[in-house]
Amino acid sequence: MNDTTILEAVDLRKAYGHGLQRMPILDGIDFRVRKGDFVSVVGPSGCGKTTLLMALAGLSQPDTGEVRFRGQPVTQPPQGLAVVFQDYSRSLFPWKTARENVIFAMRDTAQKTRQERRDRADELLAAVGLKEFAQKYPWQLSGGMQQRVAIARGLASESDLLLLDEPLAAVDAQTRADMQDLILELAQRFDQTCLLVTHDVDEAVYMADKVIVLSRRPTSVATEIPVDLGKRRDQLATREQPGFLHARHEVMERIRSYRSQMAG
Amino acid sequence: MTRALLWSRGAVSLIFVLALWQAVALSGAVPAKFFPGIPAIIDGARQMIATGELPRNEILTLGRALTGLVLASVAGIALALLSDASPFFDRGFRTISSLLQPVPPAAVVPMAIFALGLGIKLYIFIILLVSIWGPYLNGAAALRAVPREQILTGRMLGLSPAAIMFRIKLPAAMPQIFAGIRYAAAVSLIAVVVAEMLAGRDGIGFLLVRKSFSIRIPETYALMFVTMFNGVLLALLVNLARRVLTGWHVRQTGASK
Ligand SMILES: Nc1ncnc2c1ncn2[C@@H]1O[C@H](COP(=O)(O)OP(=O)(O)O)[C@@H](O)[C@H]1O
Ligand SMILES: [Mg+2]
Repeated sequence: MNDTTILEAVDLRKAYGHGLQRMPILDGIDFRVRKGDFVSVVGPSGCGKTTLLMALAGLSQPDTGEVRFRGQPVTQPPQGLAVVFQDYSRSLFPWKTARENVIFAMRDTAQKTRQERRDRADELLAAVGLKEFAQKYPWQLSGGMQQRVAIARGLASESDLLLLDEPLAAVDAQTRADMQDLILELAQRFDQTCLLVTHDVDEAVYMADKVIVLSRRPTSVATEIPVDLGKRRDQLATREQPGFLHARHEVMERIRSYRSQMAG
Repeated sequence: MTRALLWSRGAVSLIFVLALWQAVALSGAVPAKFFPGIPAIIDGARQMIATGELPRNEILTLGRALTGLVLASVAGIALALLSDASPFFDRGFRTISSLLQPVPPAAVVPMAIFALGLGIKLYIFIILLVSIWGPYLNGAAALRAVPREQILTGRMLGLSPAAIMFRIKLPAAMPQIFAGIRYAAAVSLIAVVVAEMLAGRDGIGFLLVRKSFSIRIPETYALMFVTMFNGVLLALLVNLARRVLTGWHVRQTGASK
């Protein structure tokens, strides 16, 4: 194992149901995430992205195969791993303010006193553009704002790896572009290794240093495509660069070859 | 809707009911002997206050209802937590609850008097029997419905099952539990007064029976109004507790109206 590898999926398999109802979802998933990287996992809706993410996070056990986090096999949620769930409106605590929601994630972190935690929460909320909304409850915020609180909470646990499950699937196009840039900026500023799951090919390529392309169900890794565009991305310039177009083309082609296999 | 407006609406409807009452009494449609006007009823209340029997029994009844309600709420929440933690307990207790729930308090009082005597134990038992279901059933349903993402968030942070129960599930379920407690408050007052009527030693229920048997009509009506007042008082207390414990939800639902 390479010593900069932080997360490793080894031949993960998982099926739902039993007997005739048995439906294989994950069919041998292998990949690695290196420290400091931003990795996208792209696959169509229903292919098992959330199922995969739950197994990576230690929230569910694969039928066979292994997840290794910092070299250790994952059997329950490991320390140093954080998740931003797909449905942000359900993952925030409605009885806590934005600030209290963020503070909730600070367990075993550097901030020990109340004041330190409060300051850190306010710093994170300011970083996601919600400085003035620290005292608001989630239900007083728009969907995009709620997702930003969820991201601030994900950063608050000071994890070595942040898993993001389609964090932008439910927001409008403009907000989406802004949030992509915000997430990239935060990942750099807080030196946060991220694994982003998405069904959107453009988003996967735009955000990542490496794109992991999933096949159709039963799902395995179709291919891995490195994206050599550097850390600085720009919604207009990046999307016009040959490197971007090339990576996007390769991802699309891989997905299309699966589609024609299905048709043929 | 502002609070001042709600209050004034409450006051207006109270005045309306009292005026209607007085109008019926004055019209002579019902013999005045059996349907006294408001001044006569107030007079009856004043006499019972002068003799001390109204305050003494009112304190007993309110104390019983309140103690019983607090205990029923705590026990109902505890049972709901147990039901959520253990499917085995849940299945067993569900059967027991479907047997006990339809039992009317009056049917239990005679045997309960033999077993528990005429003291506070009797009343607490009767109230528990009828009031526990609101908090329990609402609590169990609400605990089951806590969004999975909130529980998983706790698990990712390494919280123990107990911590997830008390720091995530219970606060999430609190608003629905309070809806159950509000219902329990009304039921507990009914149960206390019925039990007092049957036990026949003290309390507003007992006084009500004694006054009606000795055909003290204005006093009987005054006591009926006292039970009504008690209902309002208990509802206000529950609402106060709701504001203190789930103020966020009061504001959330208030804001969406
Ligand atoms: N707990 C479950 N039991 C049975 N089937 C499930 C369960 N969770 C997900 N599935 C099914 O597994 C497939 C993959 O689901 P999911 O991982 O949520 O996909 P994605 O996140 O890629 O949209 C879907 O067909 C879904 O219906
Ligand atoms: Mg999903």
